[in-house]
Formats: sequence, C-alpha cells, structure tokens
Amino acid sequence: MSTEILLNEFKEVSEHPYKVLSQYKQEGKKVIGVLPYFAPVELVVAAGMVPMGIWGSNNKTIALAKEYCATFYCTIAQLALEMLLDGTMDQLDGIITPTICDTLRPMSQNIRVAMSEKLPCIFLAHPQYRKPAFGLQFTVDQYTHVKKELEKISGTAITDEALREAIKVMNRSRAARRAFVKLASDHCDVITAVKRSAVLRAAWFMEPAVFAEKLEALNAELAQLPVADWKGKKIVTSGIICDNPKLLQIFDDNQIAIAADDVAQESRSFRVDASEEGDPMMALAQQFADQDYEILLYDEHSNQNRRGEFVANLVKKSGAQGLVLFMQQFCDPEEMEYPYLKKALDEAGVPHIKLGVDQQMRDFGQANTAIQAFAEVL
Amino acid sequence: MSIYTLGIDIGSTASKCVMLADGKEIVSKSLISVGAGTSGPQRAIAEVLEKANMSKEDMAYVLATGYGRNSLEEIADHQMSELSCHAKGASFLFPDVHTVIDIGGQDVKVLQIENGVMTNFVMNDKCAAGTGRFLDVMARVLEVKVDDLGMLGAKSTKRVAISSTCTVFAESEVISQLAQDTDKCDIINGIHHSVAARVAGLAHRVGVKDLVVMTGGVAQNAGVVGALQEELGHTIHTSPLTQYNGALGAALFAYQRYLKEQK
Repeated sequence: MSTEILLNEFKEVSEHPYKVLSQYKQEGKKVIGVLPYFAPVELVVAAGMVPMGIWGSNNKTIALAKEYCATFYCTIAQLALEMLLDGTMDQLDGIITPTICDTLRPMSQNIRVAMSEKLPCIFLAHPQYRKPAFGLQFTVDQYTHVKKELEKISGTAITDEALREAIKVMNRSRAARRAFVKLASDHCDVITAVKRSAVLRAAWFMEPAVFAEKLEALNAELAQLPVADWKGKKIVTSGIICDNPKLLQIFDDNQIAIAADDVAQESRSFRVDASEEGDPMMALAQQFADQDYEILLYDEHSNQNRRGEFVANLVKKSGAQGLVLFMQQFCDPEEMEYPYLKKALDEAGVPHIKLGVDQQMRDFGQANTAIQAFAEVL
Repeated sequence: MSIYTLGIDIGSTASKCVMLADGKEIVSKSLISVGAGTSGPQRAIAEVLEKANMSKEDMAYVLATGYGRNSLEEIADHQMSELSCHAKGASFLFPDVHTVIDIGGQDVKVLQIENGVMTNFVMNDKCAAGTGRFLDVMARVLEVKVDDLGMLGAKSTKRVAISSTCTVFAESEVISQLAQDTDKCDIINGIHHSVAARVAGLAHRVGVKDLVVMTGGVAQNAGVVGALQEELGHTIHTSPLTQYNGALGAALFAYQRYLKEQK
C-alpha cells in the first residue's frame, strides 16, 4: 500500500473517530472508552473488545458538562464528559476512568454519576508509590478489578494466554510508533506536523493489531525514502496533547518539523513496553512502574530535576533546535513543573516557547505569531 | 537612484505603514486607527503612497507584519512576525537596545535583543490584562479618552490599588471606586500601575537589560511608562515613532531582503 493511501487512512480515523466507533459496533464488536492516562488497554484487547481513547475534542464546545465541572477543569476532561453526555459516545459498552491527576479524580465520579444508568464506569486508581513491591501489588489489585469489570461486559474470562497475546499486540503497536517518530523526523518533508499527529492520534481509535500492521507498512515505505534534505527548522513538542490540525498547520506553514516529542498523548504513552513473559498482570504493573520522566507520576528524585534534563537531552539528541511547550490550560501538573523544565532547558542552552492552549481554541492568531517568531529566532 | 521599501504593520487596532529610502531614510508614513479585517490596511497603504507621491510599482520590496500580515498576499512580497520587526525597528532607533517591551492592542511582548538580533521573547497568554485593550475598557468606564489617560494620571495625588489581574474584575473594581467618589485621576494612576505590574512580571521571565525601549501605542501613555520604570527599576526609552516601530522594522527587513535577492 502506498504512503499516501496509508496516511489518508490514518487521517480519516483521526478526524472521524465516531465513524470508527459506529463501524466497530456494526461489526458486532464491543468497545471500551479509555480516558487518559496509563490505562491497561491490554486487558480490553485480551477481553476481545476494542479500546477507544477519549482525549476530548477539538470541535466541540463545553455546554452539558458545565453542570458537573468546575471552570478550572481542563478542557480535555470536560469535553470527554461532554461527549458522553451529548450522545457522541452512546455506543460505548463501558469506560475506564484512570485518576492520576487532580482533575481526573473528581471527574471519574462525575462520569459515574452522569452515566449511572447508561454506561458501566470502571474506576482505576494507580498507586503513587508504583515501584516498591507493595506498589506493584496495589497496581495488580487495581488491574484485577478492571479485569473483572471488563469480563462482565465482554462475557468472557480473560485468560493469562489471551493477556500475553494482548501484551504482544500492544508492544508491537508501541514499537511501531517509536519507529515512526524517528522516521517522521528523517522524512519530515513527507510526514508533516499535521500528518505525524494524525498517525499517532489514530492509534487511540483503531484496533491495536490493525493499527500496528498498517503503521509497520507505512514505516517500511518511509524507510525506503531518502532522508529529507530539510532546509527548515526542527523542534521538539512537549505537553499533554497537541493534536489540533489547525494549530499544527502553523508549523507546516513555517517550515518547522517535529523531530521528537514529549507529549502525553504521543511518545509519553508508548515509551515503555510490558514483559511478554511471566505473570501478565504483574508484567502490566511493572510496565506502569517503569514509566519515568513523567510529569503525572511521582518521582522520588524530583529534586534532581531528572525530567528537565531528560527533555533537554531529548531535544539535543533529536537534532532539534528548540522546544515548543503546549501548556494545557488548567493543567496543574504541567504548570507546576514548568519552572523546572525551563531551568533545565535554559541551562542546556535549548531555546523554547510556551504556548497556552485548550481544546476550545478556534483562533490561533497569537500562536501563529509566537511560532513564526520562534522560527525566526532559531 | 534610491531604493524604496515599504513596511506594513497590520495590528489588531491600527494599521501602520513606513516607506524607507535606501533602508535608512523615512520618506513617508501613515497610521489608520483600525486594524486587521477592516478597511484600515488598504487606507494606510494608499495614504503612505499618496504622501510620497508614489505607487506600489515604485516599491522595490514590500514586507507585511502584525496580526493581519497574512491578509496582504496581493501586495506584500514577504511577511514576518511583528516580534522580529519590532526588534529590528527598535535596534534602528536605539542601537544599544537589549530589551523591547511592546504593548499592543491585544497582546504584550517582551523581546531580548543582542547585537540588534532578537534572541528570546515572551508573549502574554490569552488574556487582555496588561494590553491596550485593558486601557480601552477602563477609559470607557471612566468616560475619558484613552489618549488622555496619561495626562489625567499625572494629576493623581495618591494611587488607588487596582488589584485584579482580570480585565473584567478590574473593571468592577474601577466601577466600585467610582461609586465611592474616588478621584478619577487616582484611579487612572492605579490602572497604570496595574498594567505595569502585569507587564513587569512578563518582562522578568526573559530578563530585563539596559537599554530598555518601549514600543506600541501604549508607549505614548507617560503614566504607563512611568509606572513600568518604577516596577522594573530601569529607565525606559520611547520614540516619537513608537507606533510605527513595527512598520519601520518591516521596511528595514524589506530593504535587507531586496539586497539579498539582488545578489
């Protein structure tokens, strides 16, 4: 299949996840909504169901969700609830609600109340101390709860064998995405910022095995191409989410390519694989424990500013000239961490800009000016 | 024969043009007090050409900047961000400049400059606080002209604290002060310091280094300039061409690009 056909397919899925959801339902599949962050989608796959990521919307306006949410909830969480309330997600068979940040914790209860008659809501609380044995056991216990609830919805028991197979599928998908990120930088003349985002975003909506196969095919096509003789600039993106095509088009218009990312919806979600051997539940718990350099997770060595140094090194290793931070409005973890990230970037001599964004932005004039000026500075 | 270049700065509230001869002499300039999406840009262009008795064809290179820079594809040979153009214009007017503070109609920018080149910058978030729009709103509530704010603020005998950062809440504070018969001049003084505090906070993010130059329409308000000097502890330099600074920078870049393309 040609590069163009594959890219168009990812674009269609990325732009119309609701169509994809309807298609799965027409095919008789059960679909589980998965809110951010670090939900064990392997359990959904092992139960023979389709995981469907819910990362808000770039097209909707918050209306119904206002009844449940304080104004300082991030738009990702509010628009997720909006889509549950306005019928967009009516075809889901259940939803997993992780509770890693201060917004998602109460949001899990808002969703439970709002969807009480409509949708099974599976509560998931990750431990703060994820690395010690007791933390790993806590994660296993939580995942066991998720597993039981998914089994009720699917009507089938999740065997260890099925879970190991699901881990293999997800590892394959993660490996393909990691490879794609590198190839996208090498071939940034073909994989523009808008196209790159569409591919990575599609991973949240497509069946993981199908996605992995198609992305491997795209990667193979890209690997055949000569490395781009790029005359523009290269940057690293950072933040929770950066998937608005109108915003990303500004990068393309200004000849700015994305060399790598530190975005929660993108690379931060596929940095770590799970072991394909041993107890699969413990493998998933260990995978969560192995997550590192992550704003949303506890770091006992945070006083060493390891994450800031990691991101600064990522910029240097990727060959980028600077970093663009997309600061999600009302994202406390990102805002609290920013001074430390800035310190590390400044010390490493990495230029950066911080752009305030939310999913209800429709006018990107100010972002356009800042991004263009940043390119001119670089 | 001279080389003429035109810089056009289409802001959110005003359209400005500067025509240069040989990249150093201002031949003509124009300012229309409406900006992007209005008749302002075309009127400003027509006026600057008319004043110089020239036509578009006489321009060797035209460069657009400002919020509406992308809407001038028919006339402009190139477009650049207003940040770069403000840095360029300020460096032309004040060769030793290291910090430029530009307060425009809807945003605030602080630029760090080394050897005439912008090396870092910071912009305000999606918020009218500290911008020209903030002053417009306050002037309307106070029933005074925005251009008179500086003169009225200078008559203040004591400063009233306007503590809210948010324009809407600050407007409520002003209304509350008016209801208490507080002297308008004192309120205006407080408003100027409110703007200055907000802008100073932004400026400290990139660092403030002499020589500090303020550009944009708000630089004509001596009250804000004075309050900002207090907040920053640095002397702030302004120019009579402050409102034209972006357009001037655009005309300078236009000249540079013309020379480069001739090689």
